[in-house]
Amino acid sequence: MKYLFLIFFVVLSGMAGITVLTAPDTSSDVPVLYWVTDANPARYEQVDLFHQWLIDNGYVTEDGKPIMELRLDTASADPTKKIIQSVAGVAGDIMDCDLAQMRELGVLEDVTDVARELGFDPSVTYPGVRSILEFEGRQYGFPCNVATSVMWANVDTFAQYGMEPPPLEMDADEFERIGLEYVERANADNPAKRRFFCESLAGWQSDGVLLSMLRSSGKSFLNETMTESRLDQDSRFLDILDRFYRWTYVYNLTPTAAQESSFSAQAGYGGGAGLALFQTGQYGIIMRGRWGLIRVRQFENPPNVSVSLPPTVDGGLQNLVMGSRRAGIYKGSKHKDLAALFLAYLASEPYSAQIVKSADALPPLPSLAETEEFIRPADFPNEWGVHDPIDQAARRVGIAGLSSPFVPTSYIVREVSIARDHVMTNNPVKTPERAVADCVLAINQEIARDVAADPNKQALYDELTETQARIDAYRAEGRPVPLEWITNPFYRWYYVQQGWAVAPEETAQSDLESDLGGGV
Amino acid sequence: MTGLAFLAPNILGFLGFTLVPLVFALMLAFTDWDLTLHNMFQSRPLDFVGLDNFERMINEPRFWNSLGRTLFMMMGIPFGIAGSLLAAILLTQNLRGGSGRNTGYIIAGAILLAGSGMLTLAGLGSTAMTLLVIGVAGTILVSGSIGGSTVYRTLFYTPYFTAGVATYLLWKKMYAVDTGPINVALTDPIDGLTTAVRALPAGLVQAGAWLCAGAMVLLLFWGVSRLRRWWREEDLGVYGLIFGGVLLGLPVVWASSWGVVAESGETIASLAAAGYVVQAAAIGLGVWLVTGLAGVERTRLTPSDEGLGSALILCAVLMIGLFAMLGLSRVLYALPAMAASTGGLKPPEWISDADWAKPSLIMMGLWAAIGSNNMLLYLAGLSNVPGELYEAADIDGAGRFGKFWNITWPQLAPVTFFIVVMSVIGGLQGGFEMVKTMTNGGPRESTTLLSFYIYTEAFELGRLGYASAVTWTLFGLVLSVTLFNWKFGNRYVNG
Repeated sequence: MKYLFLIFFVVLSGMAGITVLTAPDTSSDVPVLYWVTDANPARYEQVDLFHQWLIDNGYVTEDGKPIMELRLDTASADPTKKIIQSVAGVAGDIMDCDLAQMRELGVLEDVTDVARELGFDPSVTYPGVRSILEFEGRQYGFPCNVATSVMWANVDTFAQYGMEPPPLEMDADEFERIGLEYVERANADNPAKRRFFCESLAGWQSDGVLLSMLRSSGKSFLNETMTESRLDQDSRFLDILDRFYRWTYVYNLTPTAAQESSFSAQAGYGGGAGLALFQTGQYGIIMRGRWGLIRVRQFENPPNVSVSLPPTVDGGLQNLVMGSRRAGIYKGSKHKDLAALFLAYLASEPYSAQIVKSADALPPLPSLAETEEFIRPADFPNEWGVHDPIDQAARRVGIAGLSSPFVPTSYIVREVSIARDHVMTNNPVKTPERAVADCVLAINQEIARDVAADPNKQALYDELTETQARIDAYRAEGRPVPLEWITNPFYRWYYVQQGWAVAPEETAQSDLESDLGGGV
Repeated sequence: MTGLAFLAPNILGFLGFTLVPLVFALMLAFTDWDLTLHNMFQSRPLDFVGLDNFERMINEPRFWNSLGRTLFMMMGIPFGIAGSLLAAILLTQNLRGGSGRNTGYIIAGAILLAGSGMLTLAGLGSTAMTLLVIGVAGTILVSGSIGGSTVYRTLFYTPYFTAGVATYLLWKKMYAVDTGPINVALTDPIDGLTTAVRALPAGLVQAGAWLCAGAMVLLLFWGVSRLRRWWREEDLGVYGLIFGGVLLGLPVVWASSWGVVAESGETIASLAAAGYVVQAAAIGLGVWLVTGLAGVERTRLTPSDEGLGSALILCAVLMIGLFAMLGLSRVLYALPAMAASTGGLKPPEWISDADWAKPSLIMMGLWAAIGSNNMLLYLAGLSNVPGELYEAADIDGAGRFGKFWNITWPQLAPVTFFIVVMSVIGGLQGGFEMVKTMTNGGPRESTTLLSFYIYTEAFELGRLGYASAVTWTLFGLVLSVTLFNWKFGNRYVNG
């Protein structure tokens, strides 16, 4: 036995030695910064481009090399990893993250001043995402891209069944009508009914569509001041969940979660297994941002695609949920000044041009979405006709998701998903009304816990709840509400659209519309 | 000194990576440590909050639900242990073929493999799974006849040393509703069952509920009679009697709601009647038990906790059986309507169905547990059973079961005791990796176990103080169960 141990010891020592000797040289003459991001192959190109951008803009050493080296850290992309690494002082210098949540942790650098200096303040990007870059008037990051929750239709599949793809804008009834016709035609020779109009509504892909439909009904997950959830106050949220249930279980327009898991397609990078099923015609429609096209382009024969905005309900307003993969600077970084250059790079034309080229959502600079390369990419004529409508919708009706200081957005999404699960799986023990009530209770309890834990927040919360009471009173009396009272980005937009808000005296109406997504 | 030097690395590691964090976590449980308020960038002082975190935990339905689900999952432990024992016993048999058997196995294996090859050549794509199973079976058969039990032991142990995430993903595919091999295999039998149920009068099938009621009464009778006998033989104290009775009583109480349909609140008369019959029988058995106790004069001073372990194990197993009968009766009642519906009976949706998700995970856990370290421990234990005992039993004319029950099982008691303790600890603590990979706590939180709940609170919401309180509660639970096992199980082992 002792010889066996000795052999193992020698072999392992030898292998360790070889590993050390053959390891690539990671030393650098210039400061090395790490960018914590996802494992998209395009990131390598973006890093190379950044180094070139540094050279082009004169950020070079005496021998003409970039003054810093940026390396990717894709292994720490998980949100919980980022949280733990940040509070432990070992996070990457630049992080793609939920700025609101990380700012709550106090781990992000305030970049307001340097952003103005280097030209990456929120005014240079889409108005719809400004509310998720700035908190209490301070900026904490910049978009790597600008995402929109839209619905993509495989035009070829629709043509195969003798149908036109859905229009750009439609209401839920029309969506349902087209869907019924589609599944009837698509499954005429398929008794198992395994061809679906749209991918599953039970997963994360439909989060944006759900929120958009809810907003269309004039409702948001939280109230105007983001101090309370009132989803159970009326039946609007429940009605949308009922529709989801009907579309899935009664009309079979979309697969159940179980049916979706049965498909043997595997998810790789960039959007899950649904994309493969979209390509094969199993799904007529998928729900993604423009970034979904990254993988569509990799198919051998990319299908012709069209785009639709999420359906409206009850004659409500068309809107588009916007988000962003956004980068912030870690407060513990030793090179915060250099990291700021990266954010400046994100606001540069070369970077936005690369986003345009790679189809990684909308570019941070809206002006780049007006180019021919964006609207009609030469290599992908199958996409002509989809890019411009997305950009126009983002400018016209795009509103970011909410970021309450009292409850993480991820918590709200999780509670809403649980409520949706209960309704979608027809839970015999818990009625839909009870599921929604429990969801509201959980969110409001979380807000209460958060406020109770922090005396500073208590003051803010008290102030905002008082404001909310005033808003409610004004609304009850039919009086217009001062816009500055409202902090929920959706309601700011909605109140203006409905004519329920009055702008501060010093703010011209045109400026107001611009601030709310009325034009870039 | 030399001894200490050798022990030092281990002791230092234990202190640095186990004891200190443990004590630190205990302190945390009494503070308001919230990552959003207290980290290296937020200099807010950490406040001592006394028992606030524990108070919140007690008032938090999610904690209780998670604990309940964890305990539910632990119902698979006895089955896993039984499976490990069975596997160990099988693997101690002489499985190596003699020259004649070898030749026979090799021929049989070759035929199987050749058959698989021919089916492949015939282009039978739909039989791919069958081919695979036949091929694997043939290979195992041939290898086993040559290598003997070593081959089988290795194969049985494979799930344990295969990476967890890989097996979870594999099982996820196995559980796929329409395309998974499990449901593909179940489709034909279930279609057959649909046809059979449709052909039978609905009342006849639904009468199966009464059979379940009868089975419940029999199980209750068996349990009560054992308790009664143990008491009369002075092998059972007051505690064992009380706790055993409570465990047996739980399904009886539950039977009150047997006939009530949860979603509508209406009562199904025949099921309700069956429930009343079971309850009436239980009351009768209770009276029989009590009157039986009253007339007995105990000759020695029996300790109150005498036989508590045995009583709890017996009654816990019976309780699981009683609950299973309750569930089965509801299924039998609903079966005709389900079969008559469009499409007839369908295989379960496994991990996609909130009602099936936990049983699905238990079944997968059984697969992993049977060939786990428990099997190795039993194998080691079996090799230590003195051969003379079996020889003596042979002389006395004992049969196979008699030898197992009177020699093997008692001789393995220390091993079983150890396995039970470790399994219970593992059951309370574990499941995180499996849940994170397969269900992420869903559907509708049905697989959110305690460990997953702790993770969410600590690392998604940042409430380290509260998460520590829950963790220490879990630790207290584990400690209590372990102490209980040591106190009563140890006595049972040595008795």
